[in-house]
Amino acid sequence: MAASSPDKVVGTLDTFPHLLLNHARVRGDRPATREKDLGIWQTWSWRQVAEETRAMACGLSALGFKRGDNLAIVGDNRPRLYWAMCAAQMLGGVPVPLYQDAVAQEMAYVLENAGIKFAIVEDQEQVDKLLEIMGNGPALNHILYDDPRGMRHYTQPYIQSLDEVIEMGRIHDRTQPDFLDGEIALGRPGDVAVMLYTSGTTGKPKGVCQTHASFITAAQSGVEFDHLGPQDDILSYLPMAWVGDHLFSYAQAMVAGFTINCPESGDTVLTDLREIGPTYYFAPPRVFENLLTTVMIRMEDASAIKRRMFHAFMAVARRCGAEILDGKPGVSAADRLLYALGNLCVYGPLRNVLGMSRIRVAYTAGAAIGPDLFRFYRSIGVNLKQLYGSTETCAAVCLQPDGEIKFDSVGKPAPGVEVRIADNGEVLVRGKMLLKEYYRRPEDTAEAIDHEGFFHTGDAGFFDEDGHLKIIDRAKDVGKLASGDLFAPNYIENKLKFVSYIKEAVAFGQGLDKVCAFINIDLGAVGNWAERRNIAYSGYTDLAQKAEVYELIRQCVEDANADLAHDPMLCASQVQRFLILHKELDPDDDELTRTRKVRRGFIGEKYRVLIDALYSEKRSQFIETQVRFEDGRSGMISADLRIMEARTTPSQAVKKAA
Amino acid sequence: MQFFFEVLIAGLLSGVMYSLVALGFVLIYKASGVFNFAQGSMVYFAALTAVGLHDKGLSLWLSVPLTMVVMVVLALLIEKIVLRPLVAQPEISLFMATIGLSFFIEGLAQAIWGANVRALDLGIEDVPLEWVLEKANMAISQFDLIAAGIATVLVATLALFFSRTKIGRALRAVADDHQAALSIGIPLQHIWGIVWSVAGFVALVAGLLWGSRNGVQFALTFVALKALPVLILGGFTSVPGAIVGGLIIGASEKLAEVFLGPYVGGGLEGWFPYVLALLFLLIRPEGLFGEKIIRRI
Amino acid sequence: MDKVRKIGDVVLSFENISLSFGGVKALTNISFDVREHEIRAIIGPNGAGKSSMLNVINGVYHPQDGEIVFRGQHRRDMNTYESAKSGIARTFQNIALFKGMSVLDNIMTGRNLKMKSNFLLDALYWGPARREEIEHRKKAEEIIDFLEIQHIRKTPVGRLPYGLQKRVELGRALAAEPSILLLDEPMAGMNVEEKQDMCRFILDVNDQLGATIVLIEHDMGVVMDISDRVVVLDYGKKIADGTPDEVRNNQNVIDAYLGVAH
Repeated sequence: MAASSPDKVVGTLDTFPHLLLNHARVRGDRPATREKDLGIWQTWSWRQVAEETRAMACGLSALGFKRGDNLAIVGDNRPRLYWAMCAAQMLGGVPVPLYQDAVAQEMAYVLENAGIKFAIVEDQEQVDKLLEIMGNGPALNHILYDDPRGMRHYTQPYIQSLDEVIEMGRIHDRTQPDFLDGEIALGRPGDVAVMLYTSGTTGKPKGVCQTHASFITAAQSGVEFDHLGPQDDILSYLPMAWVGDHLFSYAQAMVAGFTINCPESGDTVLTDLREIGPTYYFAPPRVFENLLTTVMIRMEDASAIKRRMFHAFMAVARRCGAEILDGKPGVSAADRLLYALGNLCVYGPLRNVLGMSRIRVAYTAGAAIGPDLFRFYRSIGVNLKQLYGSTETCAAVCLQPDGEIKFDSVGKPAPGVEVRIADNGEVLVRGKMLLKEYYRRPEDTAEAIDHEGFFHTGDAGFFDEDGHLKIIDRAKDVGKLASGDLFAPNYIENKLKFVSYIKEAVAFGQGLDKVCAFINIDLGAVGNWAERRNIAYSGYTDLAQKAEVYELIRQCVEDANADLAHDPMLCASQVQRFLILHKELDPDDDELTRTRKVRRGFIGEKYRVLIDALYSEKRSQFIETQVRFEDGRSGMISADLRIMEARTTPSQAVKKAA
Repeated sequence: MQFFFEVLIAGLLSGVMYSLVALGFVLIYKASGVFNFAQGSMVYFAALTAVGLHDKGLSLWLSVPLTMVVMVVLALLIEKIVLRPLVAQPEISLFMATIGLSFFIEGLAQAIWGANVRALDLGIEDVPLEWVLEKANMAISQFDLIAAGIATVLVATLALFFSRTKIGRALRAVADDHQAALSIGIPLQHIWGIVWSVAGFVALVAGLLWGSRNGVQFALTFVALKALPVLILGGFTSVPGAIVGGLIIGASEKLAEVFLGPYVGGGLEGWFPYVLALLFLLIRPEGLFGEKIIRRI
Repeated sequence: MDKVRKIGDVVLSFENISLSFGGVKALTNISFDVREHEIRAIIGPNGAGKSSMLNVINGVYHPQDGEIVFRGQHRRDMNTYESAKSGIARTFQNIALFKGMSVLDNIMTGRNLKMKSNFLLDALYWGPARREEIEHRKKAEEIIDFLEIQHIRKTPVGRLPYGLQKRVELGRALAAEPSILLLDEPMAGMNVEEKQDMCRFILDVNDQLGATIVLIEHDMGVVMDISDRVVVLDYGKKIADGTPDEVRNNQNVIDAYLGVAH
């Protein structure tokens, strides 16, 4: 859009460095970045951010960072790490944010693949990790750290504090101010702006190259869609390497000029959320779920009066809350009055506790969200919507427009985005926000983008009668049972995971005669449930194998079965036998991806004996598993797992008289 | 309706006075984790000393500050002789010590000033406020209002003091763990001295206000018993709890007496607060504002 | 990553300390010294007298015999309040936190001795007292940041799990900006990860804040990795004293530990 405008000033706003400098000019004193440090929110204005970023860029340049180089960024959401992205872009380099909790070998692969020579990291922990990697792999020329704590005794010359580099850059920028402006002017919208590695449910991660143009287009369409502006606030707490965070906390913030707020630490997010009260919010369903679980647990512990009031008003909200939010007609005056009262006594305080008092728009994406969960937030007046996208599409394919919210769709295609459904049900996408390429993988690029320019998302879905896209599963995961019925494992797993007691589920059935599942219970929710019933337990493994817990989960599974029976396509996919795993599935054990998606194939191999037992007549099965602790050591967990049958519900449509 | 409000206001005003007495308990409970059985005796002792000095010809402006000095000396002596040897002993020992202390203080007061009832005139007349009487046709006692005003100021100051200052924090620290408090350099003796002095001061104010209304007599020690339901209601450790508890007890006993009294033959005022407290114990044993005791296994 | 901190002169030494309760001898003729900036461990099997020794150092117990030299001053025993004033802070084996208070308030109490404003100003919460409060709050926040406990700042300590309570207790001790820090079994009852965290904090305290550390541990493993010198007690007597390597190979120590092997 910007490119088509004849206006000169607007015409130059086609790269992120230009956007930053423009904000420093037009709203120099407005807050750009906040961070809570030592218990106090520190604020940097757009002007300060621009200055710091310039200095950082000059410092990097003095160290030898130049056009075309890649800059690794590793750490929690810290202001200077965000600024570092723009600093790299000023010099025509490409920031490559990495998942900060990735183990060394994963990180090593990306560093190697992206040919990284420069890294800016948060603290000692990340420096140590990089040093470990460098011991037997890629060689970095420079490691710059943000937090000096514990770094005093590192004598390696290539390890430097970011402070030093910025100081150096400040002098550099003062003595030759034209240098950086010249570099920035060389930037083109078609240049690669950022490289985000996809977690990859299979195989090695791939570097997705996105240009300034694609991310700015994607950001602009979102900003216009939801009328975002400089007055908005967002809490930046999701991994910087995730496309969602990059879109919301970097690209959209740069386009709309709103304020990003960095929490004090990963553990304080809830408190920080309450203190900041963001107006714009983005989180994967898991975060919304955790928030709700926390509230529910606290409600269970509240006094009887409070509890009763809560439940009474929640019933009102369930009945009419979402409709009132959507401005739909047909809500009775009595209900409106009750809702207003509830807003005063319950929903308002609740939104406040959740840190959602000021939210105008909230989005969720990354996985399917449970209808109950989704409805809950909308019913208490939080304008929660869904969007659909991926790293390759700048997370901007479909959005739910205000007033057209459906619980099971991801909305309509964003402005300027073409969506087509292939014959095999796969969703194909075309638009300006598509990736330029996979880094150094031309054959993968060719495979993903067809000759017409459509990107193959790998998701299976369809459009409903209102033109909303509905995603059911990964295209390659959708299979058939032995009977020939459709088998969409993700869909089944999500149905199960929507129950608050179930944290993770893995469904099996491809080419088999029936569907069986592994369950991970939610330790918080089930633990609380058990405590209220005076069931003593010593930890996850013990709790998971309690007969009472199995009974509880069986109920949940049967409810999900009844739900599946509604849909004639999926009726055959009801879970007939299940077991509760003795350990939580963990990215450290390669069972989940970093974004917590189930690695079905890997799990299938690892727990072969359990699957065999599920498809036999056995009532229990012994298993011993190696686990890796956070400190890198490993140990063994063993248990005798029960296997339980779950009742299935006959199809509503074809009631067979057995 | 008008009559209802009249009773309610009278109840609330006398409730403030209950709060005042309860506050003395709360302070000491917070600092030493012990129910100070001698608080009632201190009220009696303080009032008797003040009125005794006054009767000897000293003006109130002189006798009251002098009494305050006596209360501080008493507090320091209690700390030195009774409490210091009991550092890090079980709470029950401290409690027993305060029982002994209460008998000693009562005896001491009577030995010095005799056991007669003495009248105390603070110069505030116990008459209804005229303009309220005219405007709203309600009888609100001027004395009650001023007494409540004094009590409110005192309570507010103390609440602020103990929640916002380092002494307040040190006080809570001492209450939690004597040994740990010592190890971080909190002077235990110092804190106890301060707290008992403040408790003495509160006792003095309460003694003067109650004494001037009902006469300074041995029955003042029983005022302390009225504080018990207040404490149960408000929680032993909470200053705001003492305030709210006092108001509830004051208001409810007056209302009960006036509106329920006729059906059960009167005399409700004496026992109604205890029944209320008992009911409350069943619902919320830690009190309205008390710290919820969480025991982990 | 070599340590550059300098171990200085002797700041605290004990000569022939003996302590008994009634007829029971807790400590017999114990002598050792502590140098500035070092990490000095006292180890030994259960009941060896380690905690008694620590209690002698900060004046909870008063030895019947022997002499303590503290910063050149010769004295018979120490006094709890005075030792706190002269820069000795400690933690306890069975966590002695103020359970009803928040983490922040607990740490603030640790600054008690650093607070200068007088009683009256404090009572009015006015002027200098208020400024001082802000100043101390900042220090407390630095400790919270250092120990990575921001998320529990406002939580009442009684609700925290054991490992975190230990960390808060360390925080309270640090708040006094001690020159000597006594740690009574800082890693007891912790899981592996918590132990590693605690080790890291102890090393950081020693290294970055320059505090001398005297710590007691029942479990030899962890201590050997982080201590500069180790005293070994058994049945109230000193059986070895030296660097971790020396102590590890000392026959008396091996016997003592094998003797109580589970």
